[in-house]
Amino acid sequence: MIVQEIKKDVYGIIMNDWDRRLFDELIPLPDGTTYNAYLIKDKKSVLIDTSDPRKTDKFISILKKVSGGKIDYVISNHSEQDHSGSIPAVLKEFSSARVITSDKGASLLNKLLLVPEDKFIRVKDGEEIDIGERKLKFFHTPWVHWPETIITYSPVDKVLFLCDLFGSHLATGSFYASGNDRVYEAAKRYYAEIMMPFRNHIKKHLALIDGLAIDIIAPSHGPVYNNPQFIVNAYKDWVSDNVKNEVVIPYVSMHGSVNTMVDFFVDKLIERGIDAKPFNITVTDIGELAISMVDTATVVLGTPTVLGGPHPSAIYVTYLFKALRPKTRFVSVINSFGWGGNTVKLITDMLPTGDIEILEPVIVNGYPEESDFKLLENLAENILKKHRGLNIT
Amino acid sequence: MNRYVCTVCGYVYDPAKGDPENGIEPGTPFEQLPDDWVCPVCGAEKDKFEIEN
Repeated sequence: MIVQEIKKDVYGIIMNDWDRRLFDELIPLPDGTTYNAYLIKDKKSVLIDTSDPRKTDKFISILKKVSGGKIDYVISNHSEQDHSGSIPAVLKEFSSARVITSDKGASLLNKLLLVPEDKFIRVKDGEEIDIGERKLKFFHTPWVHWPETIITYSPVDKVLFLCDLFGSHLATGSFYASGNDRVYEAAKRYYAEIMMPFRNHIKKHLALIDGLAIDIIAPSHGPVYNNPQFIVNAYKDWVSDNVKNEVVIPYVSMHGSVNTMVDFFVDKLIERGIDAKPFNITVTDIGELAISMVDTATVVLGTPTVLGGPHPSAIYVTYLFKALRPKTRFVSVINSFGWGGNTVKLITDMLPTGDIEILEPVIVNGYPEESDFKLLENLAENILKKHRGLNIT
Repeated sequence: MNRYVCTVCGYVYDPAKGDPENGIEPGTPFEQLPDDWVCPVCGAEKDKFEIEN
């Protein structure tokens, strides 16, 4: 736990969850995480977001001390339980407190946490609330990463509180991000896993943020940004349409044929100056795979045919790819089959329509022969031409 | 009026129902949805939709 005053009467309350290793029963957390809340002690005492239910008891005891026993408003920027989950306990402890959120936020908090309807103050986009020396301004910023998300801005303090946006799953004793060289990778992992599907929404929000005077960006996971441009510029890069001269190759091999093909294919890409990133799906941290998809121009999936279709772990990765919606431009498949099947079509049918071009796949009956290696080399050459067409080689 | 399906998550936009929670009246054809309308389930943009078969 860290409590730190970031501006006069503005406090960050960071609850470290050092040994949490999985989020949503899906996302690996190699560095743990934190749940950050903020407290502004003005004429009105305002809590911004809370803590995961795993930390409720400790959070409430700290909040009672730091607040001096007074909370008038709880702002909920995001209704997900890792930030909202202690709201019921806060309302129990501070019975006159009201919850400030968007219409959709109120609806979700009512459904997810049974917060009574009469507890809410619903704010519109651009609305301000006077809390004494300050006014707090609320912007509706949907889809980072739920439809109800808002951000809270304190113009007097030049602090922007934006909950999950710009967050990082990184438990650390350092309150601020500046000088902590682990933050970039952790923030990129977070973007890849949580925010990447909403890239085009974030572009709009970045334009809004660019128009605000900001000293400190206060997210609700990971260290606080005392150099806001660091994370804003990183996000501008990630959400841009620019892709890199890379090929990500998630693959699975049952008896070695796909493995042999991927191994050869990787060498042919590297010979052409393309950064090849193979991931054996069975031993891969899916967060690492997601990070690799942030910038890559091309993804090539390697899978054998089993039970007439793709290996189930290849289907899992294809599903994640579809759900994460990276800016990948080209996709292909390397497949080995024994006696039939419909593997490639089953995979390509899962992909969303849009800007992705499917390149000629390499489909091999059994173990690759010389003519098959030639096809793999052709695919590498085709990718090089496509990447040259994007001026990224 | 055609129903449109989100190719990301499978949500179906039914013009007869509209999307009242997001200010879209029942009876609004997909083609007349505002450009910034997005899939209410997954946030995908309009260009990720196709006519339901």
